Formats: sequence, structure tokens, C-alpha cells
Amino acid sequence: MLETRNLDKRFGAIHVTRDVSLKLEKGERRVILGPNGAGKTTLFNQLVGELSSDSGSIHLDGEDVTGLSVAKRARRGLSRSYQKNTLFDGLTIAENLGLAASVAQGHATSLLRDSLSRSEVRETVAEVAAQVDLAPVLDALVSEVSYGIRRQLEVGVALATRPKVILMDEPTSGVGPEMAHGFHKMLNDLPRDLTLLIIEHDMDLAFDVADTITVLNYGEVVFDGLPEAARNSAMLKEIYLGSWEDA
Amino acid sequence: MFRHTPLRIATLVLLGAAAILYGLNAEYFGLEILTEIAILAILVIALDMVAGFGGMVSLFHGALMGIGAYGFTLLATKAGVAPLPAMIGAMALGGVVGWIVGAICARTHGIYFIMATLAFGQMAYSYIFESSFFGGDDGLSGAPRLDLSGLGIDLNDSRGFAFFALALLLAAYLAAVAILRSGLGRSVTGILHSEQRMRALGLNVWRVKAAIFGLSGVLAGLAGTLAAQHIMYVSPGLLAWTVSGEALVVVILGGLGTLVGPVVGAAFFVLLKHEVSAHTTHWHLVVGVILIAVVMSRANGIFGWLEARVARWQGRTHAAKTGNLALEGDSDA
Repeated sequence: MLETRNLDKRFGAIHVTRDVSLKLEKGERRVILGPNGAGKTTLFNQLVGELSSDSGSIHLDGEDVTGLSVAKRARRGLSRSYQKNTLFDGLTIAENLGLAASVAQGHATSLLRDSLSRSEVRETVAEVAAQVDLAPVLDALVSEVSYGIRRQLEVGVALATRPKVILMDEPTSGVGPEMAHGFHKMLNDLPRDLTLLIIEHDMDLAFDVADTITVLNYGEVVFDGLPEAARNSAMLKEIYLGSWEDA
Repeated sequence: MFRHTPLRIATLVLLGAAAILYGLNAEYFGLEILTEIAILAILVIALDMVAGFGGMVSLFHGALMGIGAYGFTLLATKAGVAPLPAMIGAMALGGVVGWIVGAICARTHGIYFIMATLAFGQMAYSYIFESSFFGGDDGLSGAPRLDLSGLGIDLNDSRGFAFFALALLLAAYLAAVAILRSGLGRSVTGILHSEQRMRALGLNVWRVKAAIFGLSGVLAGLAGTLAAQHIMYVSPGLLAWTVSGEALVVVILGGLGTLVGPVVGAAFFVLLKHEVSAHTTHWHLVVGVILIAVVMSRANGIFGWLEARVARWQGRTHAAKTGNLALEGDSDA
């Protein structure tokens, strides 16, 4: 479904991602782990096209999308959520989800009708709101809801485009343990044909959600395998200084 | 997102009623002022569509109005086109030029966008100023007024023309509302709040920005056709950057991104100009002081200030009814 071949990115003398090759099957849930500065977010930015790669290629559903713009990749089914909330703050939660759905459904440039009042857009909004547990607060302004709800909305906006693959950049970043547990459940309840690539620091979530785990260190893939193998890896224990065993 | 709140509807109704009453009772000079307000209001509605709802602060809208005025006058006087199709043609020209300039400038942001639109405006001004085809600095005279005598309306009469301008202002406002409530308008608002996210969702941001700039150009062109018919003469001064700057001042004075606010701002600005200029030639100083006061107050213009006051009052009333005054105080802090 999503494949990278030998992706490389440098910022001057700093080699941020080195020869990264990944292959995600349809419906796979892969968690990317790695210490701060390992190149995880840079890799995401390369995948969605917000950063160009120095070399290597990206393939989505068999198509080489390396040269495509961010918007074109999104229209082919590659969606993302951000580590730092990137929402439409002055709008309601329903409008946030509706904008995402209307872009994906091709109503975003229509002059004839209000995209947000279209029945198919409203249906998507209702479905996604139920998936990310936002149905009770649909009419609330984003600027007036809690941080945790905004994190849920981050994922909801990505989901509302009905993508093939979602890249989630630390979805539980900054939320408390109870809410993080809710996030685990929400992610596990998503349709199984949806491919997820998740950057995460929370080991609980990593081992709870992941089918496979990739570990980046200094921009390089140092581990690619099953969660059990990751849990028992001495090298990874060393990278994470013991936090592994707490999970 | 554009919303018609009760306050906005009430303001529009009040403004409309006041304009009609004034139009029915005013003498020649008053009717000229009313027409001037209507033309400026159409221009600032066009500007608010891109600046207030799309974050594209344009210094090209004076030029767009001038292009509409010159387009209308040339079509009607030199090409022999009847006034109505000439108006439509000039509006279309404003739309096409607006789309082209918007498409080019949409690649930039912030101060660079402002400077790019200023550069295009100055290019248009200089070209028309230097070109003998456009009458150079003498401009072009003989712009005719639309003939609505078949409907029993005499547009050569000041009162008839003032009401015609008001009717077109209403049409322009409704068109702007329809655009802002369409899929395109919703996307423009999305871009204003997070261009990065709209792009990541799959939107061709550049295309949407160019389209809204083009549609805004149609309305600015309409203002131009009215300006040409009003004084039956067009000059390069219509395209000067100061016209764009003045329009921007009016939008900020009235309330950026409210659509109703700029209409209030247009009425306030024109009335203030005429009142103060009756006493001193330095009326710009007064406008400048008021603009600074509005900006320093951190209110979104006159109408934004009014909306904030009403919202606070409603909040207090609601809190008093629910006995939740303490909570309301917390949220204010």
C-alpha cells in the first residue's frame, strides 16, 4: 500500500533520514519509534510531500508519488495528522470535519452549493464524529474545546478524507493516561482495511496498536519487525534506556 | 465561516431602511453622497471577500475598479456596445484580470502578497496614465448611463441613479454571501485558518485563491462601471494605489471579514469625509486618528466592536438567567 525506497534527506551537514526503505501492506498498523531527533517527523514530511527528498522514491498503491504535490498525494489517499494541532481554530468541530470531507468528495470548489450542507458531507461528518468520539461536541468552536478534544479532532480531520493511509504524528502527544487509553481503543476500532503509520513515544500505545514496529535512530532504520521482537531487542533497550521494559 | 447573525441582519435592515428614507428625502448633494457610499460599499465588499475571508490583503482593488470603469467606458463609447452588455463585459474583464493577478500573487503570502498586488496596481495605473488610447491623464469622457426608461426609471436623475446604485449594492452583497457560502467560499475560509491543512487535505489552494480573486474582481469591476456612469467620466486616478489603500482603510474601519462591517465602514467613511472636509482640508488627519484608535482598541472595526459588545451582553444575560455569573467571569479572564 505504501512503500519507500532508499529515502534520503539532508539539511546542510545534518543527515536527517538515511536510506529509509519501508513497506506497509494494506490494513497494516505500523508504529515508528525513535528518540528525539531520529528523523521521524522529517520522514512523515517527506512521505506527504511537505519536504522534498534528496533521493529515493515513495509509492502509494503501486504508483510512484515522489514527484507529486502535497495536495495530489492527499487526493490519492494519503492523509496525515500533525504533532502540533493544525486545525481550523475559528470554526466548529463539525465545520472542521466538513471541510475535510468536502475537499475529499470534490465539493470544495463548487460555486453552486454549500459544501457543508451536502448530505454526503454531513453523513461523513456524523460517521467520523462517532469514530473519534466527537459527536456530543460537534457544534463547539475548536478554540473553546479542551486540548484532548483537539487531538481527537486532529485524527478526525485526517479520517474525514476517507484515506487509504493515515500518517499520525504522535496522536497522544500531551494527553493524560486516561485519554491515551481512549485513543488506543479508538485506533483499534478503526476499519481494518485502513493502513496506519504512527509516530509514537508512548510505548503502551505502540505495543497495543502496532502490527509491526520500525525504529529510527539518527535517521536510519535500525529495527523493522514484530512488537514481540522489538520488546526483546537488546539494542532497542539500549536506545530507549530501559523505558522499553516499563511498557 | 460567514454567518448571518441576528445582529448582522438587523444592521443590514437598518442600513437599508436609512438609505431608502434618506434617498427619498435628500436633495442633489445628499443623493450624490448616497451614490458615493453605494459604489464604495461594493468595492469594499469585493475587497473583504479576499482580505477578510481569504487573508489576501490586496492593493490591487482600486485598479480592478478602474479597469471596470475604463472597460465600460471604452465598450460603450468606442465600441458602440449598449450600456448593459458593456457593464457585463466590463465586469467580466475585471474578473479575468482579477483571476490572472490573483493566480500570480497567490504564490506569495503576507507582505509579499501586498507588495505584488501593489506592483500590479501601479503597472495598470502607469500604463493607462501614459496611453493615448485610454486618454492619458485626461481620461475618457462620455460614459453613458444605463437606459431603464422602459421600466419607468430615469437614471439621469440623481435620485433614480442613487436607488440604482443601492439596488446593485444589494445585489453585490447577496452575490458575495452566496459565494462565501458556496463550497469555494468555505474552502477560502479554510485556507484563511490553515492553508497548510487545506493543502494536506488535498485542496489545490492556488486554484481556490485565484478563483476567489477573480470573483472579487467581477464585483470590483461592477463598482467601476457604476463609478464611470456616476460621473460620466473616467480618469487614471481611479486606478491609483491610494484608492486601494482607502478601500482597505474602510474595510478595517468597518470590520474585516464580516461583510456587513465594510458596508458600515463605507457609510461612515464617506459621511465623515464630507462632514470634516466642510471644515478643514485636512480631513485625512481625522480619518487617520480614528483608524489608529480602532486598530489600537484591538476591536475588529466599528462593527466588530459592536458584535463583541452584543456578545458580552448576551453572555451576561445568559449567565444571569442560569445563575452562572462566576463561571462567566472566569471565562472572561
